[in-house]
Order: sequence, then structure tokens, then C-alpha cells
Amino acid sequence: MQRAAYTTDSLVKRWLRHRLKCRAPLQVSMRPYSVFPPVDSEEKKMLDRMMRVDHAGEYGANRIYAGQMAVLGRSRSAPLIQEMWEQEKKHLKKFDEILAVNRIRPTALLPLWNVAGFLLGASTALLGKEGAMACTVAVEESISEHYNSQIRTLMEQDPDKYVELLKVIKEFRDDEMEHHDTGLEHEAESLPGYWLLKNAIQLGCKFAIYTSQRI
Amino acid sequence: MAALLLRALRTGRTLRGLGSAVAAPATSTPRCSSLTQGFHSTALRLQDESKSDKSSSSSSSSTSYHEHYQAHPADQDTTAASHGASADDPSTADASRANTSYQDQSGEQSEEYETEEQLQARILTAALEFVPLHGWTVDAIAAGAETLELSSASTGMFNNGAGDLVLHFIAQCNSQLTEILAEQNNQVQLGQAEQKKTADFLRDAVETRLRMNIPYIDTWPQAMSILLLPYNIPDSLKHLSTMVDDIWYYAGDRSTDVSGSYHHPRSPPTSAHTFLSPFHQHPHKIRPATLQMNWYTKRAALTGIYNTTELVMLQDSSPDFQDTWNFLDNRIQDMANMATSAKQVQSTGEAVVQGFMGAAVTLKNLTGLNQRR
Repeated sequence: MQRAAYTTDSLVKRWLRHRLKCRAPLQVSMRPYSVFPPVDSEEKKMLDRMMRVDHAGEYGANRIYAGQMAVLGRSRSAPLIQEMWEQEKKHLKKFDEILAVNRIRPTALLPLWNVAGFLLGASTALLGKEGAMACTVAVEESISEHYNSQIRTLMEQDPDKYVELLKVIKEFRDDEMEHHDTGLEHEAESLPGYWLLKNAIQLGCKFAIYTSQRI
Repeated sequence: MAALLLRALRTGRTLRGLGSAVAAPATSTPRCSSLTQGFHSTALRLQDESKSDKSSSSSSSSTSYHEHYQAHPADQDTTAASHGASADDPSTADASRANTSYQDQSGEQSEEYETEEQLQARILTAALEFVPLHGWTVDAIAAGAETLELSSASTGMFNNGAGDLVLHFIAQCNSQLTEILAEQNNQVQLGQAEQKKTADFLRDAVETRLRMNIPYIDTWPQAMSILLLPYNIPDSLKHLSTMVDDIWYYAGDRSTDVSGSYHHPRSPPTSAHTFLSPFHQHPHKIRPATLQMNWYTKRAALTGIYNTTELVMLQDSSPDFQDTWNFLDNRIQDMANMATSAKQVQSTGEAVVQGFMGAAVTLKNLTGLNQRR
């Protein structure tokens, strides 16, 4: 799974380098703080869905880290988790802005992700530091895969039009990959039942992504 | 015999049209478009003929049929073949819908035609005058069509009849409201007007919108019952939710459910060219285990207020509906009070929890459980 994520990432990078060699001049976005290009209603619906699920994902990730901090807040791994949490807060803030400016409806399941995320973070942190790291690895891998597929979709449509949005998503995807690697470094895999926990969490993430896009 | 002759004439003209198209395409690329332009010109010519054959009203509505449906390039080849035959009978909906694809392609030739939606909008707007007389019925639409010098048979265009009329009226009022709100916002941004408090803004917005119903207030119960028909419910809900979303947006709501305050700190007026400042002014605080649904609760509350006020207005007989506006004031006050009391309950709860934690720690200290040995 991890190798697959790296391969898609390198594929995207190779494709991007190819595009950059023979690209049209980039559009400059007129409105200084806008990340969306002007789009028609069909595309807007698609972008709305994407942003809605991204917002929900960052919100859930925030709550997961909050749960982890609630349990492990006084342990040795607290600074590490706190730092990752701060980055997620930044991501969430950015998506808040995007939703507000573009009048996108947030998903109605946010209270559910609130509670579920906190419980997930807290319960995996109860398994100790390795449990928290394993949860981080699983969630970050899901999120990175999700961002990658969004990047692919936007690239397929029109990379020049979405250049601002792509920049944002790529930056966040890189951050999430970093969290994923951090989790692996800190002995996530040494948790007994790692494989089971990881797949269970990733299944949950897939379900969350599917429903947040629609509801 | 005569029918056969007519048909021969028509196919002859079609072939001539084809010939002219192939002979002299000015700047058209060697693709389907040149052929479709040819077909289109023959379509026009045949329609001109059919105009003289049939009564003016049905043909003008039929030419408007030949407009602006989804243009699928795949359809054109098949419809081109059927065009010759189907031109005889332009009033059948299917054939005309298949024919509509032509006129989309060549914009320059369809300038003299309006789209079907524009024509429908014109008829419905004209029909609104007759609503006090005929009510929200197909008769009003027919009367409206007649003022536009179309036959009253144009009501056949409206599958939903009275529902179309009511929905059109609502859409019109909502877009007027949005314009007014945008204009007010503009003035605030330019510094020419003061920003209203949220409660006042909401009250004024709802009052403005409801005042647009006043000319039709006698027949409004009929309109509301039409809107409650199962067929119309999705559309009416969509209009309502869009309107409420617009009102909250111009009231300055930028919530995305993460933190919430009823009196949303609105973005300060920036320079004139940024129409609505995109700054997200919320203090970024994620409350633990909060189940707020700010975006949704605000809109649900305003929807409730709007609907109940509308109902009150139906039974109001005071001068200038003063009772209604008082009712509206009270409801908005209720909403504000509820929001503040919800916040107070939450902060009280937090304080109580902290009190308990403090008491627990004290107890642990007293009983010596807190010591590490």
C-alpha cells in the first residue's frame, strides 16, 4: 500500500514535469485570495463536492489529533502530535476560507466526524504511542491517496485552469505524506494487530469520504 | 395527390438548400458544422414556409421549440435525415426537440429567435398581471400570452401550468431580493451606508421579500397550496433554500460549522473593488466535542421564521401588515435569544466541568491519591 502511494506520487510528478516542459502560459488569478477559477455550474458542483469532502477530512483529522492529545497529552510524544495537529489546523483554516468564499455547503455529517474522530484518536492513543502512530499512518495514507486522486482528476480536466487549487491540494498532500512518514518512523508498525487496525481505519476513511461527498 | 406534390416540393427545396450549403461555406471548417449550417438554413426556410401555412401563434411557439435544448452533436446526423419529414409537423414535441440542436450551433442565425426559456419567462411575466383576476391558473397564463399577441394555445408549452407561474414569480422575487441585498452590500463596502446589525439585516431582508407578495396577497393561499403539490415541492424547496442562503451570505455569515457565534463578526469594508472581502474573520477555535451545526441551524432557523411570517401575513388585516412585521421582529428576537442562551449554557457547562475537575483534584490531594510513591 505504501509502495503504491509512492508510485502514484512519482507518476504524478513525472507527468507534471512532462506537462511543464510543454505548457501553455499559466493563468493569473485576478482575485488575490481566490483559489477557484471561474467555472460553470457543472464544474462548480464537482468542485463543491471535492472541497466539501476535503473540509470534512481536515476537520476529522483535527478531531483525531485532539483525541490523541487528550490521552497522550502528557507523554513524551505530545510535542510530536501537537506539531502535526497544528499543521492540520492550518489546513482546516484554509478549507474554511475556501468554503466561505465560494459559498460551499459544508457536509451535514460534521457532528458525526467530530465525535467519531475524537473517539478514534482517543481509543488508538489508549493503545499507547504506537497505537496513536498507527492511527496516524492509516489516516494520513488514506488522505494522501484521496488528495492524489483529486489531483489526478483536476489534472485530467485542465491543469492550467485549476493551477491555484492544485497548488493548495499538492501542498496539503505533501504535508500529509510527511505525517505518514513521521508515523512510520515512530514505530507505528510495531503495534500488535497493526495490519488489522490499519485496514479497519482505512475502510472507515473510505466510507467517510464517500458519504461526505454526498450528504 | 396534393400532399405528394407538397412533399416533393419540400424535398426539392431541402436538396437545394443542401447544395447551397456545400457550395459556399464561407469560413466553416470541414466538419459537421458546415453540414449542420446547411441543414439549419434549410430548416429556417422550411420554417418560413410553415409559418405561412399555419397560424402565426403556433408557428412562433414552434420556432421557439426549435431552440436551445441540449445540443448533442451525435443527434444532428440522425435528426438531419428526419428533418425533411418532421418539418411538416413542427408541433410534435419530440421531433421539435430533436430539431432544436441546429440552431444552437450557428449563433448568428438564431439571433432573431429568443430561447424557449426566454419566451416562457416573457409569457409568465405578462401573465402575472392577470393573477388577481384569474388566480394562479392556466387562464392567467393564457391571458398573458394574448397580451403578447400569441395564441392562448401557448399554454401548452407549460407542462406544469399554474405551478410554472408560481415558481416563476418566486424566482423573480428572489432575484430581485438578491439584487437589492447586493446593492446594499455594495453601498456598505463603498462606505456610503452603515452596516446593519445582523438581526436588523435579517428582518429587513425578510420584510423586503415578503412585501413583494403584497400585490398578490389575496390569491397567495392558492399559490402556496400549489407549491405544496408533490410535483412542485423540490423546486419550491430549492428556491426557498437558495433565498435563505443568499440572505445569510449577505448578512455576513461565513460559518463552516467549526466555531460559531450568532453575531458573526463581519468582514470590514475593504477597498471598493473587492466586492465582498474573502477574509475569514472567525477566531479559529475548535471547541472540544461541540455538536454545533452552525451553517445548517442558521439557515433552518431563518427558513422557519420566513415560513411562519408568510403564513401570518396571509391572515393579517392590519394597516400595511404591521402585525406581520411585529411578529417577524419577535421571531428574530427569539432566534437571537436562543443563540445567546445556547452559548451561555455551553459556557456554564464548561465552567461546571472545570469546577468538578478542580473538586476531584482537591479530593485526590486530600486523600493522598495524588502522591507518587
